[in-house]
Amino acid sequence: MEIFRERDGEVVIVRLTGRLDSSAASSAEDGLLVALGGVPPRLVVDMTELSYISSAGLRVLLVVAKKVQQQRGKLALFGLTPNVREVFAVSGFDTIFSIAADPAAALASVR
Amino acid sequence: MLSFVEETVLLLHDEDSGDFVQLPQSVFSVVIAGAALMDLAIRNRIDTDLERLTVVDPRPTGDDILDSVLSTIVATQNKAADASQFDISEALYDAATDADIYRERALKRLIRRGILKEENGRHLWVFRSRRYPLIDNTEQQEVRARLRHILLSDEIPDPRDIVLICLVAACSLLRFVLSADEIDARTARVEQLRKMDLIGQAVTKSASETDAIIHFAATTI
Repeated sequence: MEIFRERDGEVVIVRLTGRLDSSAASSAEDGLLVALGGVPPRLVVDMTELSYISSAGLRVLLVVAKKVQQQRGKLALFGLTPNVREVFAVSGFDTIFSIAADPAAALASVR
Repeated sequence: MLSFVEETVLLLHDEDSGDFVQLPQSVFSVVIAGAALMDLAIRNRIDTDLERLTVVDPRPTGDDILDSVLSTIVATQNKAADASQFDISEALYDAATDADIYRERALKRLIRRGILKEENGRHLWVFRSRRYPLIDNTEQQEVRARLRHILLSDEIPDPRDIVLICLVAACSLLRFVLSADEIDARTARVEQLRKMDLIGQAVTKSASETDAIIHFAATTI
């Protein structure tokens, strides 16, 4: 998996690509936690190119979300592919995360 | 830090009686098996998705319970015609076979760590009995306090908390963590958290099916 970061003002946008499974979990967690630079952090995760997520991947997102909450920051996801959306629905992660319809809505929700 | 198998044995311990809460054998087995699978998942030895359970690292963990479960799963997967179809329920079933052995090992570890002690006695002056009084309840109290906080708040749980909540709920032991009124008030929260671990979902499903069978048998005999 590859992780790309860019900044839009105070918001860090992280783009996850490929598969987020146990082999990618550690680097993804590091990449996402590095993106929590600001206090409070404002993070948007672009998942349009994330084709697969396993339980190990879900745990990574949970750890990041918890960190953001502890630092009173904001986090939004957008661009969930149908596979990933199904995993979120079955696991109830869609009730924990703020999932925006598009990039603009995601940016607006964390500002 | 205790493993989930050890935590489960400790959560099943009733401090007042010094004995263990009695669960139907099949529920107990599946919960211990689930705890072991969750340990393996947290240690990155297995991974799961909606269809499959995959061994991602077959190397031993150094924990004899987990290594036994891991080698069982690896052996079953190797024998399977199509390993990609191996799912969580099959792994649970495999691991549950030796749940009593795992419980005994976990119990010995808790005694070695000075958390429980073994006391042999006599019941009605005749029958041998064995109790396990709690010597150090720090771990048990801390886990219950943490779970209580997560269940009563809307805080994002960490992965360990989710696993423990799945296991406690599957054993119907929420009453040791929350009052009856709190359980009623937080049903939606419990259900939300129980869904968040795919192995936990399989444990819940399997335990509920067993409960339903026992209830059916009890009401139709």
